[in-house]
Amino acid sequence: MKALTGNLLLNGEAVFWADGKWVARFRDAELFDDGARAEAAEGLAKSQQTVVVDPYLIDVIESEGLWAPLSFRERVRCLGPTNHPQHGKQALGGDDIDALRHAHGAARSTGRVNLIKRK
Amino acid sequence: MYQYDVIDKEFTQDRVAEFREQVERRLAGEITEDQFKPIRLLNGLYLQLHAYMLRIAIPYGTLTSKKLRKLAWIASTYDQGYGHFTTRTNLQLHWIKLKDAPEILAALGEVGMHSMQTSGNTIRNVTADPYAGAAADELDDPRVWAEAIRQWSTLHPEFSFLPRKFKIAVTASAKDRAATRVYDIGLAMRRGRGGELGFEVMVGGGLGRTPYLGPTIREFLPTRHLLSYLQAILRVYNRYGRRDNIWKARIKVLVASLGAEEFARQVEAEWAKSEQEQVDLPDIELARIRADFTPRFEPLKPRSEAVEALKASDPAFARFVRHNVHPHKVPGYALVDVSLKTPGQTPGDMTSEQMNVAADLAETYSLDEIRVNYTQNLILPHVKLDDLPAVYAALKASGLATPNIDLISDIIACPGLDYCALANARAIPVAQHIAERFADPERAEAIGELKIKISGCINACGHHHVGHIGILGVDKKGEEFYQVTLGGSGEEDAALGSMLGPALPADKVTDAVEQMVEVYLRERRDGERFLDTFRRTGVAPFKEAVYADAH
Repeated sequence: MKALTGNLLLNGEAVFWADGKWVARFRDAELFDDGARAEAAEGLAKSQQTVVVDPYLIDVIESEGLWAPLSFRERVRCLGPTNHPQHGKQALGGDDIDALRHAHGAARSTGRVNLIKRK
Repeated sequence: MYQYDVIDKEFTQDRVAEFREQVERRLAGEITEDQFKPIRLLNGLYLQLHAYMLRIAIPYGTLTSKKLRKLAWIASTYDQGYGHFTTRTNLQLHWIKLKDAPEILAALGEVGMHSMQTSGNTIRNVTADPYAGAAADELDDPRVWAEAIRQWSTLHPEFSFLPRKFKIAVTASAKDRAATRVYDIGLAMRRGRGGELGFEVMVGGGLGRTPYLGPTIREFLPTRHLLSYLQAILRVYNRYGRRDNIWKARIKVLVASLGAEEFARQVEAEWAKSEQEQVDLPDIELARIRADFTPRFEPLKPRSEAVEALKASDPAFARFVRHNVHPHKVPGYALVDVSLKTPGQTPGDMTSEQMNVAADLAETYSLDEIRVNYTQNLILPHVKLDDLPAVYAALKASGLATPNIDLISDIIACPGLDYCALANARAIPVAQHIAERFADPERAEAIGELKIKISGCINACGHHHVGHIGILGVDKKGEEFYQVTLGGSGEEDAALGSMLGPALPADKVTDAVEQMVEVYLRERRDGERFLDTFRRTGVAPFKEAVYADAH
């Protein structure tokens, strides 16, 4: 399972793709079980140069009956800095935030799909 | 403190106007991210995990109350009410919006500040001894020379596209408080046989993936030739530094591959053929800069009865004086360290309210000066001894009087994976846990000087290679692990740490530090610091204690 993420150009906020729009909370992200659909969405996202910076696909796993990014780095992006729990998206609270906090992944490095570009 | 003249002001304003237009063009889609990214980076604007990060230059770590208040205002107006002081004595704001960045740069320009050359392959913000102008052991105020380098290097056309970033540190004391051995160029002022002043020039130090201590390529460079000699070093690097491999592009790799002697020979040859008089600073310009670094001290008694009385009656104040107050070159004054390392807090973080308190104290009690130390603490450099009780009370009321300078809870930590797009693991929570474990000030004092430095990736912004205990976060299949090194130092006894053993999981790091401290307390001889004991015993007893469970 995959999701599509990036940072908004205007303010740098981490956002997630959902049916052609960008949403702030990971729980609202569109999940892809079809690689071709995911890549098509990534292609569309990359054409939105004045909206989002550097969109990319990430791997997603199940956590407490909900979904969470596989890599710790991506979960930090969904939550905010762990030293300031009142900052970032984690301040909103909720079951989805708890599920992200409790998730355990095992991604090499970033969990970002196709990070290593082969020349 | 150096004041911007008309040329400096116009130059900064032009730069802000240029960036404002560039941001507008980017938002309108007239330029792509690939085109815009190098432009924003040249203005210190990074895109990180949660938002943009603005890195604001604080040249040689010196601030006035007006500047610090402006930073506090920017942090509360455009960020979340706090900032993070770095090991390069800059301030990072972690919640910046691109659309606000030009306004912030304009606000900085109003107080003679900017964020130029806090990124990119240029000569970065110049650092200096944070005790400059106040240290009892200095030969000259190194900031005079750091300011000359700042002016010479800012947007220097020949050195704006170097193979890689380039950092220079300056000290004028035998005690190295500026980590000069681990800089691309470290300059340490020395007195020549005839009494004249010059610099020992060290080149090719650095941390990161391949750490080196910079070898000395010239024992004594007369101060008047500083800029032409720097130009010669930069020219050799610009010509022969590697551009094909980012991991081998720093000058340290060039110096190591050529050898210090051959590198020095090439620099000397380049220097000999250059037109030195066109680059070296005229005496009149040097005098103009120097005039801005001459605070007016009053004649005072070298001893304060008020301080002695309070030390006798208030053990907490006495402890603060023991650890956070240092001798000043002028009798009756003292340097006061302002700790940003209260156990449990983020190392180097300061709220806008705290910045305003420090600014008020600087204005009232420290000749309007405040310094940033690369250890991520601040300093009030010129406090009258008689004012120490009032300064202590105000700092204490704002959570800024933790008496832990150079002790185990005075930990350097980079922002790590909590903020940084490059990080592999978090650094801040590791520092918080260790500091909380050793929060008891009596215990910390009994342990004595112990410098822990933590980085969240191999780029080593947390200086882990030169920590007495260095901790490096690594990613092992998605889990945070930490490699521990021992015996490093970034001071005049500079050394790179030795590996303790296999990386530890996050929840074992604080226990490991405690086990190593117990080994030290068991093994230490009279007067030995942790570092001294380690250097005598080697890694074996520490390794045995930490990995005992594994055997």
